[in-house]
Amino acid sequence: MPKIMIIEDDPAIREELALLLKNEGYTPLMVTEFTDVPGQTARERPDLILLDIGLPGKDGFSLCAALRKAVPVPVIFVTSRDAGVDEVRALSLGGDDYITKPYSVPVLLARIKAVLRRSLGEPEPSDILEAGGLCLSLTKGVVSAGGRSAELTRNELQILACLMTRAGQIVSRADLIDTLWDNQIYIDDNTLSVNMTRLRGRLAEIGRPDAIKTRRGMGYQL
Amino acid sequence: MTLREFLSDRLGRIALQLICIGLAALFLFVTGTQPGVLMLLLLVLLLIFATAQVADFLRQRACLREWEAIWDGLDRKYLFAECVPPPKALYERRLLDLTRRAGQAMTGAVSDAEASRREYREYVEQWVHEIKAPITAARLICRDLDGETRRKLAAELAQVEAHVERALFYARAESPEQDCLLRQVKLEKIAAQALENHRSLLIQSRVQVETAGLDCTVYTDEKWAVFILGQLLQNAARYRGEAPVITISAHPLGKQVRLAVSDNGIGIPAHELSRVFDRGFTGSNGRSRGGSTGMGLYLCRRLSGFLELGLEIASEEGKQTTVTLTFPAKENLTKL
Repeated sequence: MPKIMIIEDDPAIREELALLLKNEGYTPLMVTEFTDVPGQTARERPDLILLDIGLPGKDGFSLCAALRKAVPVPVIFVTSRDAGVDEVRALSLGGDDYITKPYSVPVLLARIKAVLRRSLGEPEPSDILEAGGLCLSLTKGVVSAGGRSAELTRNELQILACLMTRAGQIVSRADLIDTLWDNQIYIDDNTLSVNMTRLRGRLAEIGRPDAIKTRRGMGYQL
Repeated sequence: MTLREFLSDRLGRIALQLICIGLAALFLFVTGTQPGVLMLLLLVLLLIFATAQVADFLRQRACLREWEAIWDGLDRKYLFAECVPPPKALYERRLLDLTRRAGQAMTGAVSDAEASRREYREYVEQWVHEIKAPITAARLICRDLDGETRRKLAAELAQVEAHVERALFYARAESPEQDCLLRQVKLEKIAAQALENHRSLLIQSRVQVETAGLDCTVYTDEKWAVFILGQLLQNAARYRGEAPVITISAHPLGKQVRLAVSDNGIGIPAHELSRVFDRGFTGSNGRSRGGSTGMGLYLCRRLSGFLELGLEIASEEGKQTTVTLTFPAKENLTKL
C-alpha cells in the first residue's frame, strides 16, 4: 500500500484528503508540525508527497528543495496560486506534478496514480477487462463473448468499460456521464441513451442482448 | 501660434504704441518740424517697434514649438512642467513655478492612487488564493454525500469558483504583464481544461459538446486562454436553447489558428451585438435569464487584447451564436 504524505496547513483539507486517500487504498500520513518536515520525511519514508506551496511561514519551493535533498521521493505540488510562473518554478525545482486548488477529486487521484506508477515502476493498467462473461480489449475496442466479437465506437467502449470496472454495482446515468467526461467524451443525457441503445445492439450481435440491465430510476447494471 | 493670433493678442499694446507715435508726430508737426524730417523720424520709430514685435513673435513661437516637442516626447504628460526649461522673464518663471507645484501635488496624488490600486490588486489575488482553500475542502467533503445532493452542491461550488475566477482575472487584467507567459500549447489541452473547469454547469445544462480539429498548436498563455474559453462555454450553457449543442472547432488560417465556439442557443439581438464586450453590459438575455454580471466577455476582450488574440462574435437571434478567437502566428507576437 503506497504511503502518501500530506503536507497541508488547512486542517479541513488535510483530514478530508487523508480520508479520501484511505478510501482509495493508500496509507495517508498527515504532517501537523511544520518545523522539521525534511526530518519527518526521512523517518517516515513516504512513496509520494502532496505539498502545499503556501505553508505558514515557509516557502513551499524551498521546502521542496530541502525534501528532495533529504529523500528521493516524488512530490506533487498542490497550490492555490495558479500563476504560470509558479508552475514553471515548481517543476524546475524537481516537483513531479503541479495541481491547482480547487482540484477535482478524479483529477487529483489520476495524477497521484500516474506519478506513483512512474516512480514505483508499476505496470500499466491491463488492457483487457473481464466481467459478466464479457471480455473487452481497451486498445482494440473489441468486445467478445463465447467466441464471437464486435467492434465498438469510442463512446460505446467507454460506457462499457465504466460498467465493467464496476460490475455488479448500479451505475447512475449521471455517474456514467461524469466518467465519459473524464475521458474527453462530452455527451449529454440524450446522446447517452442513443449510445446505450447502440451498445446493446452490439452486445446482441455477440449473443448477449441482456448483459446490461436497466434499473429503473437508478441506472444501469452489468 | 499664428501671426494673426499673436497680433490679436498684442492688439492693445500695438494700438498704444501707434497712438503714442501719432501724438508725438502731431506735437512735432504743430511745433513746426519739417515734414521730411518728421517722415524720417516716423519711419524709424515704426521700424524699431515693428522689429521688436516681430522678434517677440519669433521668440514666442520658437519657445512654444520647443515646449510642444517636449510634450510630444513625454510618456507621462503630467510631468510636463518639470521637464521644460525655465523661462527668463520673471512673470513667466513665476507662472511656471506655480504650475510645477500643482504638477508635484498631482504626481503625489497619482502615485498614491497607483500604490493603493496595486495594494488592492494584491489583496484581491491573496483573497482569491485564500478562498480556494475552503472551496477545496468543501469539494472534498462533498464526496461523502449521496449522489443528487453531491451533484447539486458541486454545481453551486462550481458557480462560486467561476465568480472567484473572474475576480482573479479582473485583478490580473490590471497589470497583465506580471502573469502572462506565452508558450506553445495544444488547443486540445486548452479545450479539455476549460471543459473540465465548467463540467458541472455543462452537464447540468444537458449540453452536448462536439470538438473538431483541435489538434493544433498555438502560442499563448494557457491559463488565460482556458479562462477565455471558459467564459464562452459558460455563456453558451447559460443562454442555451432546446437540445443544446456546443461546437468547439479549430482550423488554421495561414500561420494563424482560428478557434470557433458555436452554440445553437437563444442568440443575441443584432442591435446589442456591438455592446456585448462592454463592461457591465448584460443585455436583454442577461436580464431575462438572470445571473449575468456583464463581466465575462468584457474580461475576454481585455485579456485577448493582451494576448493579441482576435475576438469576434456573430449571432442570429433565436438560432445561434459563434465566437471566434484568432490565435496569432508565433512570429507576429510582440511579447514572446
